[in-house]
Amino acid sequence: MRYDVTLQRCGLSAVFDLKGAADALRNWAGDMLPPLPDHPNTRTGGGGVELYHIGRKHWLARAPLAQEEVLEAQLKPDACPAEISIVRVSDTLSFFRITGPDASQVMAIACPLDLHETVFGADAVTYSELFGLKALVLRCEGGFECAVEQSFGDMVEDYLTLSCRQKPV
Amino acid sequence: MLLIPCPFCGARSESEFIYGGPVRAARPDPNVVSDADWVDYLTVVPNPLGPVQEHWWHARGCGEWLTIWRDTRTHDIVEAPDEIE
Ligand SMILES: [Zn+2]
Repeated sequence: MRYDVTLQRCGLSAVFDLKGAADALRNWAGDMLPPLPDHPNTRTGGGGVELYHIGRKHWLARAPLAQEEVLEAQLKPDACPAEISIVRVSDTLSFFRITGPDASQVMAIACPLDLHETVFGADAVTYSELFGLKALVLRCEGGFECAVEQSFGDMVEDYLTLSCRQKPV
Repeated sequence: MLLIPCPFCGARSESEFIYGGPVRAARPDPNVVSDADWVDYLTVVPNPLGPVQEHWWHARGCGEWLTIWRDTRTHDIVEAPDEIE
């Protein structure tokens, strides 16, 4: 029997890697970005841009791929002050969506995180593993979104497809 | 499988981490220590029967380096021994 999930390969998003002290980032890009999430492994959003707090002094800004050039023009990675770093990394991450009633069952096969909603809430986002590969994991409407290094995209799609097939009876 | 406490992420599966070796003594001044102590420093890795302090890297996570105390007899993560604190 198959798990009751929908697996969707979403491909690339516009993603910018932001590093530095929160105040320095706010000074440079505060107007173009949603408020910086304060708590580790949480996110904020606004104006079509989402901000993920994925490490100490480390954030990802994500938007639909169509917004990439606009966002780059606003963030001006080439001109930013030396105490912060802004790097376009859109090409490095391939995104997947796993949604439906059994989404958490399939995620439990792929990922060692405790994804119960009391632990991994609606605004949670973190780097973890998917089939042993470093992966970004977050909640989305009706399930989970994950992203892996894009060169692993085909392989992870195969793994996820196989995982969806093998519901124990 | 260990659940390792990351200072940024909280408790996470050992599989997300890479072992960074035991915490070693500070490098002595080679001009001051005896040859035997210098060779000890260079070649002898801490390997006690009991609590050992270790570096771990949250490589498939937030990227943080951290240290824990692990008891080699039980594989449990433990508090730092009293004489260290
Ligand atoms: Zn961490």
